[in-house]
Amino acid sequence: MRRVTKGIKNVLLTLLAFLFVFPLIWMISSSLKTEESIYQDLDSIKSLLPSFQLSEWMASYTELFERFDIFNYLFNSILYAGIVTVGSIVINGMAGYAFAKFRFFGKNVLFSLLLALLIVPVETIIITQFTIIHNLGLVNSRLAVVIPMIANAFFIYLFRNFFIAVPDSVIESAKIEGASNWSIFWRIMMPMSKPAIATVGTLSFIASWNDYIWPLMILTDGEKFPLQVAITNINSTEPVFTNQIMAILTISTLPLIIVYIVAQKYLLQGLGTSGTGNK
Amino acid sequence: MEYSDKYAKREKRKSFSLETIRFHIQPFYFLLPAMVLLGIFLFLPALLTIYYAFTDYYLLTPDQREFVGFSNFTQLFSDPVFMKSLQNISIFVVCIIIVQVGAALGLALLINNNKKSNIFLKVAFFSPVVMSLVVISVLWLYLLNPSDGLINSMLQGIGIDAQPFLTSPNQAIFAIVFVSAWQGAGYQMLIFLAGLQNISREVYEAAKIDGATKWKSFLHITLPLLRPTTTLIVFTTLIAAFKLIIQPMIMTQGGPLNSTMTPIYYIYQTGFTDRLVGYSSAMTVVFGVLIAVVTFVQRKLAKEEI
Repeated sequence: MRRVTKGIKNVLLTLLAFLFVFPLIWMISSSLKTEESIYQDLDSIKSLLPSFQLSEWMASYTELFERFDIFNYLFNSILYAGIVTVGSIVINGMAGYAFAKFRFFGKNVLFSLLLALLIVPVETIIITQFTIIHNLGLVNSRLAVVIPMIANAFFIYLFRNFFIAVPDSVIESAKIEGASNWSIFWRIMMPMSKPAIATVGTLSFIASWNDYIWPLMILTDGEKFPLQVAITNINSTEPVFTNQIMAILTISTLPLIIVYIVAQKYLLQGLGTSGTGNK
Repeated sequence: MEYSDKYAKREKRKSFSLETIRFHIQPFYFLLPAMVLLGIFLFLPALLTIYYAFTDYYLLTPDQREFVGFSNFTQLFSDPVFMKSLQNISIFVVCIIIVQVGAALGLALLINNNKKSNIFLKVAFFSPVVMSLVVISVLWLYLLNPSDGLINSMLQGIGIDAQPFLTSPNQAIFAIVFVSAWQGAGYQMLIFLAGLQNISREVYEAAKIDGATKWKSFLHITLPLLRPTTTLIVFTTLIAAFKLIIQPMIMTQGGPLNSTMTPIYYIYQTGFTDRLVGYSSAMTVVFGVLIAVVTFVQRKLAKEEI
């Protein structure tokens, strides 16, 4: 009896695993075969396998790179995500340091305001953000893609909680030896907070890499598009070939697979604490 | 002697006061960049949105905006598309919480004690998470194609008729629920697993000795001890689900017959595509306040639970 339930459980788990993983397999396999064979293979298991002829694998990729400037889109995505990631670590880290280790006038008010900002749903105010970018004359600029994403109330909060744990005595002794606050921040606080840096870095990289609506709104110039916007653009540029679409989807997913593998242990930390608001 | 003493004292006081000033100003160097950016791109827009909601701001003629009182709001509540979008998002939110959180909890319970194939299964369930919303939307647009999509050919393989999916006003929203739950469940499964692993073995053993069946210990130990994790996941799902936009934007453009139009997508369309900033701001105020209240409740609850 026990063996039967275990058997049922294993069959169920295998079926479920298949349900979760087959779209990804279909996406990658379809990018590695000809357009006709994608549709010929539909009703057999071959739909989840790449072409049996290795020479056909790269055809869709070569054609895609010939028709569109994929390297440029890749460069844009890496540039935007890189700036957001570094900017987010430095700027939110600095603010977190100020809230953790300084006493100054208005600190409590400012901190409550910061916590209040956490409940503003950013996605609803994109239109007003757009009018501000418009008034600043930044529409269709690369700067406009990244600048609203850098400062983040939650990341400031996360850094603050990490910095508070750094003992004051460490800071005091560094001060006695003549270290400025700036060098304390860079030489002591940041190196002691690698998990916080990794969490903020990973979360902001992913958020920026996956960002779609905002760059779609502010960029009119195809040259400046990040990959996510390029995908829907390519998907609506005739002639549309399924294997090429699957190729661009695969290209845009690969960097994230690497990020998730490298940073897996920091991802849960980010969500586990997100919005719980106490520590 | 006396003179130099006084001098030294004065010097000391001077340097002390300079020090104090520097001491008080320095934190602001560290705060300034973040505060300026948050001020310009979060605080200011939040306040301006409230103000714009009472004007007839047209995107191309910002200088001609005039105060119109509550007329945007009265128009809003007789706007059938906005009402439809509220109805759609309610369906979506309820379904996604049941399907996604249910799937995440179910998967976590299923693989919790399954050591052998654990890594393989975890990777499989997590694989949709690594794809962006744009990627999954485009991918499922092909998979769900009514005439030559893989899903319909699989359904026909097991004897089920081809379905219209995204092209049917009755099925489209549920197709989006399915795709979204499929994408998000793996991530939440990992959080549930972490919660399950925090429950100590001894509690179960003690229950076993007291004669509790597996089902009873699940009901009276696992579920209550998982409550903080569940609350956290339900609320984060709830808040994220309210903001649904990318999937309908790419997969259905809100159709057919507005059956997948969502509030955020409608805000985007009226404010950006139709350029009616004033009207879209009024919607933002109504809907944004709703999300903010839910977020606030979540934070309160999280404080009590954890």
